Amino acid sequence: MTILYDEAQEAIAVESRRVLDDKYDLQRLLDLVDVTGSFDEELWQSAVEQGWTALAVPEQYGGLGLGLVELGLIAQNLGALTVGVPFLSGNDAFVQLLLAGSDEAAREAWLPRIAAGEAIGVAALGEGTSPFPAAPAATVVDGKLSGSKAAVAGALKADAAVVWASANGKPALVLVELDDTMRRAVDSFDNSRLYGELVFDGAAATVLLEGEAARKAALKALARLAVVTACEQTGGGEQAMKIARDYALERKAFGQPIAAFQSIKHRIAEIYGLVELARANCIDAAARESEADFVLKACAARLSASEAYDTAARDAVQIHGGIGVTWQLGLHLHMRRARSLSAELGSPLFWEDLLVSELEGATA
Amino acid sequence: MIDLDEFRAKARDWLSTMAGEFGREARRGLSPEQDLALGRRYMAAKYEAGFGGINMPVEFGGRGLSGLHKIVFETEEMEIGFPTVYFGISLGMPIPIIMKFCEDKAWVRERVIAALRGEEIWCQLFSEPAAGSDLAGLRMKAEQDGNGWKLNGQKLWTSHAHLADYGIIVARSDPNVPKHKGLTYFWVDMHAQGVEAKPFELLDHEVVCNEVFFDDVKLTDGQRIGPVGGGFGVALATLMIERYVAGDADGFGPTIPFFVDFARDVELNGRPAIEDGRIRSAIARNYALRNGLRSIRDRAFLMMEAGMEPGPEGSLSKLASVRSRQKLSELAIDLRGAAGLAYDPDAGSKEDWVSSWLSVPTGRIAGGADEMLLNTIAERILGLPQDHRPDKGVPFNQIPA
Repeated sequence: MTILYDEAQEAIAVESRRVLDDKYDLQRLLDLVDVTGSFDEELWQSAVEQGWTALAVPEQYGGLGLGLVELGLIAQNLGALTVGVPFLSGNDAFVQLLLAGSDEAAREAWLPRIAAGEAIGVAALGEGTSPFPAAPAATVVDGKLSGSKAAVAGALKADAAVVWASANGKPALVLVELDDTMRRAVDSFDNSRLYGELVFDGAAATVLLEGEAARKAALKALARLAVVTACEQTGGGEQAMKIARDYALERKAFGQPIAAFQSIKHRIAEIYGLVELARANCIDAAARESEADFVLKACAARLSASEAYDTAARDAVQIHGGIGVTWQLGLHLHMRRARSLSAELGSPLFWEDLLVSELEGATA
Repeated sequence: MIDLDEFRAKARDWLSTMAGEFGREARRGLSPEQDLALGRRYMAAKYEAGFGGINMPVEFGGRGLSGLHKIVFETEEMEIGFPTVYFGISLGMPIPIIMKFCEDKAWVRERVIAALRGEEIWCQLFSEPAAGSDLAGLRMKAEQDGNGWKLNGQKLWTSHAHLADYGIIVARSDPNVPKHKGLTYFWVDMHAQGVEAKPFELLDHEVVCNEVFFDDVKLTDGQRIGPVGGGFGVALATLMIERYVAGDADGFGPTIPFFVDFARDVELNGRPAIEDGRIRSAIARNYALRNGLRSIRDRAFLMMEAGMEPGPEGSLSKLASVRSRQKLSELAIDLRGAAGLAYDPDAGSKEDWVSSWLSVPTGRIAGGADEMLLNTIAERILGLPQDHRPDKGVPFNQIPA
């Protein structure tokens, strides 16, 4: 697959950005920060109308049948504007896991609803501090799932989850409807991510995959989720860099724009470098989804995007000086989102280890 | 055009048959003269085999393939450690410049083929004792002399000048105008009367750089490249080529797989170092960085092939890769404990951490110091203001010394 965008992909990037720019409302985003369980319902409606929920769902299930590249372009724009809808990446992981299994009835039941924006899905893989435990403690016995899964984005509004659990002494991926599931909401520093722990107590669960097949599918879905999130982080990092640049050009001190001081201009140039490396890794990974080294490339994208966004957000605040730490300016939305996106899918500590394990496998 | 995978397979086949005669092992213990002679023979063999000038136009004796083909070949070639170092600059900047700007195409073709075969070497005479980062502040004097020109002055840091047959040079043809506007670009015969190259040692004893003195060196006007006073533009075009030529994601040092193998073999706290989180972190971070650079480079070449202008992110390559190499080399030396103190002067910087560490500072300075690259990114790409430049717009001969 080529790493240059075609015209349709360019159009998705431009059009989705236009829609998001139209809907952007800083005050609404600020209002969401403090309220656990809140998200941007208006923007979510637009996303559904634009067909973003259908984007990567196969056509036979009512989707548009597009791929990771297109999804990544939208995610990049979502990230740039720190939107308050956390559902697209989780939906995609849910869809991917249903597709990896062989339960056609489950696919027919859920995928058209996901595509139409009528249902929200998540992938619940992590437990405790591990985003992907080798032997999950959550257990299925006689079709009933018990145990708790670590907080995932979107969990507070999700209708169904694919859960990484143990069944018959082996790891498995199981599908669970969340109607009756207890969700332990996280009062977060970034509440519009809708973080919630899922606590199962004998919930009806359908096994989709077991054993090594389940592990491989889960790892691949996690890697794909990492790439989508890395695109979102890259978009956020780029935007934070541009905000910092624009402010440094406008703000004057000692008789000149502060951007004329090398301590400022070099800092912004360094952020540019991090953002471009992240973007390049995202493009590379998105083009290699069907290759043997996809997980390795996803790790690289995830790591460089986390570094780029964290650095960009941190330094953008610093470059602004006092105004950067005010509530009303809203630059803290990037600071918050950079941290939440870095933490929510397994921190860089996890992805570093996974990357090296993949490299060791490749060179063994 | 031959498919990349097929080309890679052909290149591998040929390179493996050459490894015994020209590879790293064959070079061990050779004197500099012997190594250069071996290098010239290797270049001739490479040309005969159809792997010389891979992405250069056929009309000039090249193969007319893409930049990606060239990268594929060089990646394979670098693994085996052939003596190609003498020809990198020659073929990298001067040869493309004469192909682009010189009008006597028959003469250019002769030079290109001779350079590809390793028979002739070109150098690039830019920096001076008082002009490095501030290239446009150079003082080499070019005066009209009859129908031609006369050069007087000194160049510095010129790689391989003592081996070179020809050079490209920027000189000041008019000191009465602001510094960028008074420069003119030429090619010179390094064997001409009045040219003297004096090599000197770098901190690792490597003899690459030269001081080059010009004493009433006569040039014809046919040796001028570009318009009188237009030398800075040609120099910028040269540096733009350099930006992509200088692109190696490993910063011309050891690779990440090489570090991984090393970290498996060496112990830390009684366990293989690769099990240590600090080491894993360093591997992962540096891998991610270099993978990003490779992706940027591949995309740039694809864009060039598709007739598009590659993005400005190509300017990150040297900045990021050489810093990565420096840190990783330091870490590798640290990991070896007291054994890290040992130094083998014959080891190469692609496969020895101390050699890599000793020679890496050059990479952070040559071809644009880190600080200049950051300025370029900030000013050209991000639109941030230029530094305060007291010499701006001032005629060169009125700039306070």
